[in-house]
Amino acid sequence: MNHINPLLHIRDLHVAYGKAAALHGIDLDIALGEIVALIGANGAGKSTTLRAISGLLKPTSGSITWEGKNITGWSADLVVAQGIAHCPEERHIWPAMTVKENLMLGGFLCRSHVEVEDRIGMAFHRFPRLRERQKQLAGTLSGGEQQMLAIARALMSEPRLLLLDEPSLGLSPKMADEVFEVVREINAHGVTVMVVEQNVYNALSVASRAYVVETGRITTSDDAARLLKDPEVLNAYLGA
Amino acid sequence: MDLFLQFLANGLVTGTFYALSALGLTLIFGLMRVVNFAHGEFYMLGGVLGWFVTSHLGLDFFSGLIVVAAIMAAFGWLVDRVLIERVRGQGEEPGILLTIGLSIFLANSALLLAGTAPHKIEGPLPNAPVFLGPVVLTEMRIFAVAVCAALILGAHLLIKKTKLGRAMRATFQDPMAAQLAGIKTARVYASTFALGSILAASAGMLLGAIYSTQVTIGGIVSLKAFVVVILGGMGSFGGAIVGGLVLGVAEALWGGYVSTGMVDIVGFIIVILTLIFKPYGLFSARAERV
Repeated sequence: MNHINPLLHIRDLHVAYGKAAALHGIDLDIALGEIVALIGANGAGKSTTLRAISGLLKPTSGSITWEGKNITGWSADLVVAQGIAHCPEERHIWPAMTVKENLMLGGFLCRSHVEVEDRIGMAFHRFPRLRERQKQLAGTLSGGEQQMLAIARALMSEPRLLLLDEPSLGLSPKMADEVFEVVREINAHGVTVMVVEQNVYNALSVASRAYVVETGRITTSDDAARLLKDPEVLNAYLGA
Repeated sequence: MDLFLQFLANGLVTGTFYALSALGLTLIFGLMRVVNFAHGEFYMLGGVLGWFVTSHLGLDFFSGLIVVAAIMAAFGWLVDRVLIERVRGQGEEPGILLTIGLSIFLANSALLLAGTAPHKIEGPLPNAPVFLGPVVLTEMRIFAVAVCAALILGAHLLIKKTKLGRAMRATFQDPMAAQLAGIKTARVYASTFALGSILAASAGMLLGAIYSTQVTIGGIVSLKAFVVVILGGMGSFGGAIVGGLVLGVAEALWGGYVSTGMVDIVGFIIVILTLIFKPYGLFSARAERV
């Protein structure tokens, strides 16, 4: 990892839901151009970490630094304006709006109508199925198509960092492979990716590095390839 | 037959007003999940303010309508930011109690300031009769229907075609996803409340020019707006329009053929029948909430 130029730099991050603490001091760094996976069991705090970064949750303490700027506690609309897009768990597309409207709203912060249309054109180029279905209500799409739409929508803000939460959830293995293929392709186009997955093998096969989260703490961080070969880690932390 | 056509025309005219008034209510409910019991008082404020700016400040009807719309937009915005914001996301009951309290406060404040007497707003057109075949209407009524229709169309285009409208629908369907797209959802809620207030107040001022405006009118207006919204389906735009017209025509026919004294009973009958046979209304927006 390039320590000289961390894109995102998190130190001692604590987050609580009411009085129940969910994160007990997370440290992590992401460098430009990486794909980093956050893996761990259900309820370990993976999604909470993403939600704190994107501004959906306010940390109780600690710091989140983005390109040298302290963005701790910023609201979600300010964070996305900084170039961090969060594609949430369970997709959260707008079901009663058309595919195209979903994409248009993904580019909500872009003032230029022409620019938004350009970006939609790029999304259709990347996901031809969405072009075919652009006038359909998003709620009528299949699970895999909805996931593609959710990713395409997140990319509409032209982020430099994409936070992907459980992109393969509820998808067939074949569809999941397609999604991870898309993640590689997005990364090849210069977008740094942080992906949360319960499916460890998928996550570690797409990522270069991974952090293992256990009950609100990072317990291990290593190269993905090395973690993938470490049965002890997989057994101990993931029940795989 | 001629009499029937006359009743039908009267009913459609009244129904347009009901539709406009109910639209504000259904918008706030449908987009924000807030059951606004102060809706009738917003309508009343539109009428009373309209009377004040035209008769006391000497504005003509159109300038008056614009001023009233601006004041009520600001008022609706503030009510949302200062009051509704505090109970957001806590279910429907706190919002209901809050708006009931607000309605009592507004009605009694208006009573204190404007008194109990009905006030007539000077309309831009005379109440001269217009003959359309066997049907007689007045110029002012036709004009008011046209303004209502324009406002309804304007609200429809705002919601369906503009960026703000898309942000409103997105916030309603999934507020978290809206935040992640960069939408300031608090502003969207306040804008929706402001829009609902404008629609209610405009209906109040238009009706004040045809009949009169009274500070105690709020209760019955809320009631009829609820009838329309239940009939049309909570949160449904088209439902509010059809529901409004159905209520208007049903009341006109009942008043014409049965009894003028008991016209308000029609609304209750409609609500009971709707709840028995189509509990989610004619055009329920439920299907949208997957």
